[in-house]
Amino acid sequence: MTQFLNYAIPGVPFGCVFALMAVGLVLTYKASGVFNLAFGAQAFVSALAYVSLIQDDWPRWAAGVIAVLVIGPFVGVLLDRLLFRRIRTASPLVKLVPSLGLLVALPQLALIIAGSEPAIPPPAFVGNAQRVYLHLGSVPISGLELSISAVTVVVVVALVVLFRFTPVGLEMRAVVESPRMTELAGVNAGRVSAFAWILSSIMAALAGVLLAPLYSQLDPQNFTVLLVWGIAGAVIGRFSSLPLALVGGLALGIAQQVVAGYMPAGVIANGLRPSLPFVVLLVFLPLTRQRQLDDPLSTCDPPSSAVERTTSGYHSASTLAVDGGGAHRVGLWHQRLVGGGIARRSGLLTRRPTATLAWAVATLAVVSALTWVPPDWLLTMNQGVAFAIIFLSLTLLTGMTGQISLCQATFAGLGGFMAGQLANHTGLPVVLGMVAGGLLAALLGVLVAIPTLRLAGLPLALATLAFALLADNILFPNSWIGNGAGGVTLPRPSAGPVSFAAAKPFFLLSLVVLAVAAGVVKLVGDGTMGRYLSAIRGSELAASSVGLDVYRLRVLVFALSAALAGVGGALFGSLEGSLSPDSFGYQISAVLLVVVAIVGLNSITGAVVAGVVYATLQVAVTTLPSRFAGLVAVLFGLATLSYTRHPEGFLDYLGARTQHAIARRRAEGRGPPTAMPDTGAGVGAAVGDTTSPVGEGA
Amino acid sequence: MTDNGALLAATGITKQFGGIVALDHVNLDVRPGEAVGIVGPNGAGKTTFFNCLFGLEEPDEGTVVFAGRRIDRLPVWKRSRLGIGRTFQRMELFEGMTVADHLLVAEQAASGTVRIWRDLLHRGGPTPSELHHVEEGLDRLGLAALADRPIDTLDLGHARLVELGRAMMGKPRLLMLDEPSSGLDAEDTARLGRILVETRRSTGVAVVLVEHDLALVETTVDRLVVLNFGKVLATGGVADVLADPEVRRAYLGVVS
Repeated sequence: MTQFLNYAIPGVPFGCVFALMAVGLVLTYKASGVFNLAFGAQAFVSALAYVSLIQDDWPRWAAGVIAVLVIGPFVGVLLDRLLFRRIRTASPLVKLVPSLGLLVALPQLALIIAGSEPAIPPPAFVGNAQRVYLHLGSVPISGLELSISAVTVVVVVALVVLFRFTPVGLEMRAVVESPRMTELAGVNAGRVSAFAWILSSIMAALAGVLLAPLYSQLDPQNFTVLLVWGIAGAVIGRFSSLPLALVGGLALGIAQQVVAGYMPAGVIANGLRPSLPFVVLLVFLPLTRQRQLDDPLSTCDPPSSAVERTTSGYHSASTLAVDGGGAHRVGLWHQRLVGGGIARRSGLLTRRPTATLAWAVATLAVVSALTWVPPDWLLTMNQGVAFAIIFLSLTLLTGMTGQISLCQATFAGLGGFMAGQLANHTGLPVVLGMVAGGLLAALLGVLVAIPTLRLAGLPLALATLAFALLADNILFPNSWIGNGAGGVTLPRPSAGPVSFAAAKPFFLLSLVVLAVAAGVVKLVGDGTMGRYLSAIRGSELAASSVGLDVYRLRVLVFALSAALAGVGGALFGSLEGSLSPDSFGYQISAVLLVVVAIVGLNSITGAVVAGVVYATLQVAVTTLPSRFAGLVAVLFGLATLSYTRHPEGFLDYLGARTQHAIARRRAEGRGPPTAMPDTGAGVGAAVGDTTSPVGEGA
Repeated sequence: MTDNGALLAATGITKQFGGIVALDHVNLDVRPGEAVGIVGPNGAGKTTFFNCLFGLEEPDEGTVVFAGRRIDRLPVWKRSRLGIGRTFQRMELFEGMTVADHLLVAEQAASGTVRIWRDLLHRGGPTPSELHHVEEGLDRLGLAALADRPIDTLDLGHARLVELGRAMMGKPRLLMLDEPSSGLDAEDTARLGRILVETRRSTGVAVVLVEHDLALVETTVDRLVVLNFGKVLATGGVADVLADPEVRRAYLGVVS
């Protein structure tokens, strides 16, 4: 028992911070429907402000008060006003992407504003961080631990008073229960939601300021890790209960110290502690019911705006094509029948006038690559091709099913490591190793999917994030898998007398692999499977009511997507000659998702362009001076803000613009309304209460 | 259970939500080809009963036997493949897909084969017989002209028909309709009734219909079950049941 306490007591301060984060996350989630992953960045910003002010000779208390009560809420309210309020009823992906972007961009923006990273180690809020003030049993309690615990107790008491005894607390509890119902009761939910954001931001700021002294230097990375613990706490609170989230966070803090204490030292023990959130998510997510995630009145939400719906994925893309394509398509069904050919759905992958342009550009690029392009450019292009394959895995998963994975980089890494290990230990030809890597990734994909895919949307995203973290900490450091910092070598393949070691042959090989991957995505998207997935997106309930095993289809697609990522990772590793776990960390997965979402998840072109963009960005970040590298990250984050306005992605937006311009020119040339005689008939009559006319809103 | 020849036999279905007893030992037998209407005031438990039969809710007690097989623990999609089709009061459509695709998905799903491997070999398209069935379905509903229209551009009356047509793909033996007339005007409702009668005649499908529109009920069902406060209040021929003073009091709020 004493030993247990010896381990448990040092965990309490951690638990306090986790609890603050968990409470903050639940507050904003329920108040505004957005699971705010930028929370970790908010914590960092306040911590940075706090340390910078102290460096400028402000007294610690004043720096703390400004960081927590001024800067924290300021950032929170800004985010709410500018962004989160506008995406309340958007799809899970549209809600998630900007917060991921901000998670990357906010800290960099703050660093640019602050001018430089603070040189001093962060001091404790009150007292001396290192000094031991008292002993609990034999456990020394330092000033840092004491201040964290004391502040948390004060905050919790204040929260209880606020929620129990004040009108705004009551309103906030009501909003957490159901924003819509609260509004119907005559409460201004917007005001209450703003208040919830302020409160939540104060939690983030407090967590940042309180925990900062733990690190010798402020690194945004540390605060992201902190965020994952907060998420686990929020999941224990089932996304809806503030007291449970509080207790959950506290319990996690204690548990991680206890686990670390009892386990023998080694990779597993070192890895187990950081992967505890994954275990928690795995256990608690299946216990979460969809109705705890939803507003009880969410079915009464007005339909989302036409633009957002037409652009939220594959099936809608086809609608657009039909709307825009005009009446000549009507009756195609019969032509197909009469023609005796196999009717194929033609709209799952978006097809635009820009498609021809894309082919032209691609051909030009390939010809250039093989003729005059300098070697380092060719390398970048080849990296782009490898990334494109990984992006295709997201086109398949997220574009077609709307499921969000934050562990595609993990699958890519596992695929690459598998190929490398097989080549090094068994001498398996590298090409076969790539296939094996893909299969392994698919297998792990199934293992991840089975417990998590019953809940779509946000819970899946969080579970995959936790899995990525687990892989980072347990799988990648293992010498049989990622071999830790050493990484794994992976030679370029050869097939009989043909060697792909040189740059150009390897580029050609990469193009072939890309073509196969693109073919898989296209066949699935245009085939019966694509039609099933489209149906599931339209209505999961109706899909199962006609006999589709929704769950099994999702697992299948998830596995196939993981396989694509695995192959892409193996190709990338072979291109580079070696793979390091750093290239496949969980934050990379987040960046990958954001990049492809911004460029376009609805087409193969989107994945290829995203691949080239991402490879170029990487070159930019590594070659530019660090000040500018930060700027790139900020721009990247800002791009996610524009994404909320054009969730169809940049390419589709461009395509739609072009299409409209062409249509308008034709209409002007031909004179009025002969265009589209038939499609107008039904437009204007709302179908049921969920659907309304879909149009581009010229 | 099935010795009385019932296609669907629900026995002692009980469902509580917290302290509220939504269904209290409700029994229902449906013979092959028979059409049964379920009526009752709002909150009587009609939709909950429907959901218990179809698998969207799990009853606390009771058994559901369909075609001689216990189905009360099966997931929705398995019940569907055994031959139960249904529509929803709050319509559930595949937003963005065309009318024909709605029927095609249902037709292909009913056969139950996962097609990803065939898709990858470019052999995953619908077979001629599947296309033929879709064609038949479209004709039955009079929707052939709208086959390629995205569902989002249809009016409510036609959308309801698409839902009905989708439920009828794969030749179900039992059709469950949850307030198909809600939101429709008299003309659309009448057309729905005609198509329903015609569908029954040509396919011999059994029907369970939850409906408020008594005109529609009278033209389409053979037998009526009245639910009130989770209990069966009356059952029997349509005219007899509607004449029952207790039913009139509970349901119509009229004492004659």
